[in-house]
Order: sequence, then C-alpha cells, then structure tokens
Amino acid sequence: MFTQIKMIITLIMVMGLAGAGVYVMKLRADNATLKANQVKLETAITEQTKVLEQQKKDFDAIMESNKKLNVLINTFKKDLQDLDKRFTKKNRDIGKLALQRTKSIERIVNKGGKNAARCIELASGADHTEAELKATLKSQINPECPALANPNFVHYE
Amino acid sequence: MQIQILYTMNKIFAILTILLLTGCSIGGEKKVKIFSVEKPRENLNYPMPTPLQMEEIFWHIITSKNAEEVFKKLEEAGIDPVLFGITDKDFQVLARNFAQIRQKLQETNNLLQEYKKYYEGENNGKM
Repeated sequence: MFTQIKMIITLIMVMGLAGAGVYVMKLRADNATLKANQVKLETAITEQTKVLEQQKKDFDAIMESNKKLNVLINTFKKDLQDLDKRFTKKNRDIGKLALQRTKSIERIVNKGGKNAARCIELASGADHTEAELKATLKSQINPECPALANPNFVHYE
Repeated sequence: MQIQILYTMNKIFAILTILLLTGCSIGGEKKVKIFSVEKPRENLNYPMPTPLQMEEIFWHIITSKNAEEVFKKLEEAGIDPVLFGITDKDFQVLARNFAQIRQKLQETNNLLQEYKKYYEGENNGKM
C-alpha cells in the first residue's frame, strides 16, 4: 500500500516536472516567435517608410514634369499667337506690302525662313550657340521661337 | 555473472541499434534558404535622336511688276525659269504649319527627356 502511494507520488512529481519542462519549452518557443515577429514588423515598417518616401519623390517628380510641360504648351500657344500677329498686326496685309516693297519683304521672308529652320533644329535637340544663349535684346533673338532659342531672353515691350 | 554480461550486452546492443536507426536524423536536414535579391531593370540607354540639320532655301517674291526681272535673273544664273508659288495667304498657312510641326517635335523630344529622367534617373535624362 505504502509502495503504491510512493509510486503515485513519484509519478505525479515526474509528470509535474515534465509538464513544467514542456511549459517552459513552450514559453521559450513563443518568445522566439514573438521576437521574430517583432523583427519582421520592424522590417516591414522600415520598408513601408521607404516606399512612402519613394512615392512622395515620384509624385513630386511627376508634378514638376507636368508643370514643365504645361509651361511648354502655353509657350507654344503664345508663339503661334505671335506668329499670327506678325502677319496681321495693325491690319497688316503681307501681300500688299510685298507689292509695295518687294525686296524688303523678300529679305524679311528669307530671314524668317532661316530663323524658322533654326527653330526646327533646336526643337530636334540641337545645342544652342553662344550668341543664342547670350541674347537678351529683341534685336538679338530669334523671333520665330524666342522661348526655345533664347532661354535668357525676358520678354519686354 | 554471465547473465549480467548478457544483460549489459543487450543494453549496449539496444542503444547502438537506436543510434544506428536515428543517427542520420540527428541535427535534422539542413533547410534550403531562398534569397530574393532585387535587381533593377536594365536601362534602355538609347541615345537621344540626332538633331536635324536644315538646309537653307531662298524665297523669291514675284509680283506682276517684277516677274520678268525674276525669271531673267534665274535664267542668267543657269536656273530653270520655273517657280512653285503660293499666295500670301497660303504663305501664312505654311508658316503656321511649320510652327506647329516644330512645336510637336519639341513636345515629343521634351516628353522623351522627361520619361528618360523619370525612369532612368537625372543623369540619363540629359541630351
């Protein structure tokens, strides 16, 4: 009888110890999992921050690019208006002018054609000449496309 | 005494058998590690289109008064006395058309540069 009680007590003790051991092992495993989770979360937060920063940079770049293109398109409109003005300013009739001052108009038309050709070269990516870059006066600029040909020219009346 | 030896031998045999059977699994299989390395896409790196080089042309203005003189000058210079003409109004249209073509060219070139700058970085956006 006494032996049986001893055995039961021993069994309970052994099982208790084993249970405690298993529990400690489980706690350790949980701790390791939590640590790993923490590391993953921190990494994810860092990555997310990087992504957000990159998104902001991209957004700024897109906005700047759009602004540039809008400015360019507005310049185009102005250039076309200026071209029309040159033909029709003060009820100007280029045909009648050519009848009256044939040689002068021929000279003006040829100069205009030369300037327009230069504008096409620049629009296709040609480098500016030093004179084009330095031009700040109306007499120095290419009137066909001043915004493109003479970036340092500021329009004045 | 002999039984004792046999008993010990049995124990050793049992332990060795267990070791023999489980030996390969001690330490477990090595885990295969998979790395994912982010490699940026290669840049296209096309050179920007070569700028155009326009050839010069000369515009003759002919009126009813100077027509004969113009044709005479052409003949004297050894040029066929023939001209392809447009009216003053059509000249304005031609000038406007050319301006629009130039603007489209500039816009396309600019877009190309902006795309290049955006996707390939600041340094590659330059012409």
